[in-house]
Amino acid sequence: MRLTALLSMAARVIVPKDYRYGTNRPWTAAAKRMNPPGKKRRKVFVEPMEPEDWSVVKGDMVEILAGKDKGKQGKVIQVFRRRNWVILEGLNTHHRYVGKSTDYRGTYIATEAPLLLRDVALIDPSDRRPTQIDWKFTEEGERVRVSGRTGRIIPKPVVERRDGIVPQQWKDGPKDTSPEDTLEKTYVPSLKTLEEEVMEKLGIQENSRHQRSYWY
Amino acid sequence: MGVLSTLVRGLVRGADRMSEFTSKRGSRTHNKGRGARPTGLRLPSRKFLSIKAMIPEFVVPHLEGFKLRPYVSYRTPKGTEAPVTAQRLFDEVVAPQVKKDFEEGTFSKDQLEKYGFEPTQEGKLLKLYPKNYVR
Repeated sequence: MRLTALLSMAARVIVPKDYRYGTNRPWTAAAKRMNPPGKKRRKVFVEPMEPEDWSVVKGDMVEILAGKDKGKQGKVIQVFRRRNWVILEGLNTHHRYVGKSTDYRGTYIATEAPLLLRDVALIDPSDRRPTQIDWKFTEEGERVRVSGRTGRIIPKPVVERRDGIVPQQWKDGPKDTSPEDTLEKTYVPSLKTLEEEVMEKLGIQENSRHQRSYWY
Repeated sequence: MGVLSTLVRGLVRGADRMSEFTSKRGSRTHNKGRGARPTGLRLPSRKFLSIKAMIPEFVVPHLEGFKLRPYVSYRTPKGTEAPVTAQRLFDEVVAPQVKKDFEEGTFSKDQLEKYGFEPTQEGKLLKLYPKNYVR
């Protein structure tokens, strides 16, 4: 019980109601250091937003409207819905030392700080300037983001796979079934189970039957 | 050992009583199996008699000209076939035969076996319920 309880405690984190969400995920060591179980911090107020009004997706191009890097455009890397934050690639950075030890001063790297959703705006692909977004329905019934100024539909960014594979550019290996062979419809519905069909095809005859057994 | 040291460092002390006692634990002479099914009989003379019928035999058909391979290409789009349900099987296999016989006038409720109806699973090698074969 001790070992398994310890392991299960580590797997799922129970977060208190007034937990202050930061850029670290709650189950990481850094988040546990910043938010130990007994701490109480001043409440941070998050602008209430309907979940269906959220228009920024990871991978979108947005422009910063306020702050140090005002006017710059960047790609969204991470989205924090709990605090209305977005993190852009390489923008709104500050520098810090990472991996410090007693004799090494650490590596000096640039880290992006999160930006409030209020301070960023999606970019219209036609003129590459920030716009306000409305959610509208197309002729087919699809819910899309439409730019307020030009009326152009802003497409959802292509989600890249974590392993970097682009399905359309995949080259089949020797153990891969080609798409044509996979989609071939060779199923013939019949009332036999797979085992019965195989036995019939290979001409196997089994006359012995199982012994009668019971279980409760 | 590393686990035990972390335990000692934390709140608990002592051996782990709750983990499963497998054949990897215990002394060299402690013989514990991992649930393999027996393939013969232990005779009174302490010898082992192997029975061929109890040893599983893999039946593999001839794979010459078989186009399907272990993995599926990433370029394949999602399939459009509906999942096979009992209703669909009935509609495709049994219903046309029943309809044809009904129109000819040879349909009778006592002769449902010719459409595949099985009143009991007795006497079958591969029963549908209770499933007596490994899938």
